[in-house]
Amino acid sequence: MQVTDLKLQNFRNYQKLQAHFSSGINVLIGANAQGKTNLLEALYVLALTRSHRTNNNRELISWEAATADLCGVVQRNAGTIQLELSLRPKNKRAKLNHIEQAKLSSYIGALNVILFAPEDLKLVKGAPQQRRRFMDIEFGQMSNRYLYNVTQYRHILKQRNNYLRQLHFHQAHDLVYLAVLSDQLAAYAAEVIYQRVQLLQKLQHWSQSIHQEISHQKEILKFSYVTALPKDKLTSVESIYQGLRAQFEANRDKEIRQGATLFGPHRDDLRFLVNGKDVAVYGSQGQQRTAALATKLAEIDLMKEETGEYPVLLLDDVLSELDCERQTHLLTAIQDKVQTFLTTTSMSDITMKLIHSPAVFRIQAGKILE
Amino acid sequence: MQYPEPVAKLIDSYMHLPGIGEKTATRLAFFTVDMDADVVKNFSQALLDTKDKLTFCSICGNLTEHDPCAICSDPTRDQSQVVVVEQAKDVMTMEKMKDYHGLYHVLHGVMSPIEGRGPEELNISSLIQRLQKNEAIKEVIIATNATPEGDATAMYLARLLKPAGLRVTRLARGLSVGSDIEYADEMTLYKAVEGRTEM
Repeated sequence: MQVTDLKLQNFRNYQKLQAHFSSGINVLIGANAQGKTNLLEALYVLALTRSHRTNNNRELISWEAATADLCGVVQRNAGTIQLELSLRPKNKRAKLNHIEQAKLSSYIGALNVILFAPEDLKLVKGAPQQRRRFMDIEFGQMSNRYLYNVTQYRHILKQRNNYLRQLHFHQAHDLVYLAVLSDQLAAYAAEVIYQRVQLLQKLQHWSQSIHQEISHQKEILKFSYVTALPKDKLTSVESIYQGLRAQFEANRDKEIRQGATLFGPHRDDLRFLVNGKDVAVYGSQGQQRTAALATKLAEIDLMKEETGEYPVLLLDDVLSELDCERQTHLLTAIQDKVQTFLTTTSMSDITMKLIHSPAVFRIQAGKILE
Repeated sequence: MQYPEPVAKLIDSYMHLPGIGEKTATRLAFFTVDMDADVVKNFSQALLDTKDKLTFCSICGNLTEHDPCAICSDPTRDQSQVVVVEQAKDVMTMEKMKDYHGLYHVLHGVMSPIEGRGPEELNISSLIQRLQKNEAIKEVIIATNATPEGDATAMYLARLLKPAGLRVTRLARGLSVGSDIEYADEMTLYKAVEGRTEM
């Protein structure tokens, strides 16, 4: 899929923008603080209705404006779709082909994007919540069911944590209700965990070949999903559900004492193993970056497998973070296959020579110079 | 310059209504100033009547002028079934169907710890007492909304009531009548497939 046109109004430093993009590689070039990343962010927000940089809509809306409007034309196999998103400080409205979508979940997925920013190279070594976020964002785009289950899960988790706190402070006493909340939470948690395990297995398949190529066949990358349940319980939704229920039951007093839910997808993690060893602990910086790069690139193929189309790739200043060899791998993997937007401060990089016929957009102070 | 006190108070009162902010409240207040005295008098009486003349039925918790309510005191209704709903207005909705002739029980909300509502805050204990006293009731149909809170409340009631040997059922979920599959969202379809019936 491709974004052919984009219109922005009062988004960050873009008061008004209208652009037509190439289906290949689009290079956004400009000095610092001119709006290159803001443009990538606009595409990200258009796809997912929320930003990767902030949870506050106000920051996305230009100074002194009440709403930010984003409008994009997306070319998919099945035809063109028009996406419209209006952001207000407290709410947002999303339209597909001029029809307003009451549920954001029916809007998300119309445009699939993968963002690759310098922080993503720390996916392996960074905090666990970065890896959970990675799974939720990427799997949520591929599967509506995943998005639904994860949203319900978070909501019920809030209710359950709140009730555990009430029990802790003796403001509430009903243990039957706690058991109901536990069952309800376990049902959604089981779906989320099962889908994570399944999708990670597929992602591993794609990332292994990419990783082998970058590491010259010397290393094998594997993912391991870290959860409190034993491995043999992860084979079906039902067995995960029963396992979680048993855990909630066995740890009831502990959870009440701490006033928080101690098991579930919000506590799980993802480990990267190279030749059987945990890269976050035993790997070199280079190995960690290779693992992160291979994982990100594998996502492109996995999304194609799950949704039938390649996503749009957003590369925010990533090339400067990679050495020549990895840059070459990255560019050969996406060239002529995936519509890509990449930001850079100069065209002199050697990598630019690798890109055939890029569409170059010079960006200055919130405008595209022709 | 400030509004005269009666107008200011009226604006403030209108602002208690849901969906009404300061601007709309101001417009409504000035409209009220221009209304005929009779109309305003009837209007204020209607407001007062909701407090003076309405009570909750001591049996089912429904809104009523006379306690017990018309449904609870009607001997021709099927005494073996009780539909449990969240709000009094849900009783009206069910009655519009005209095909259910049993009894009701109004919970006055659903459990939601975030909003400070646990089992004790709902009209549940009176339901239990009612079922203990009245042996004619054989089935409890739970008609809470298909939200996470509605589901949790339904599961909670099922746990309390089933051990007593009652039949506990929950409304079906899936496609709405007369709608195209094309326009149903994925989760509705998923639930509809899950809850499919043998033909």
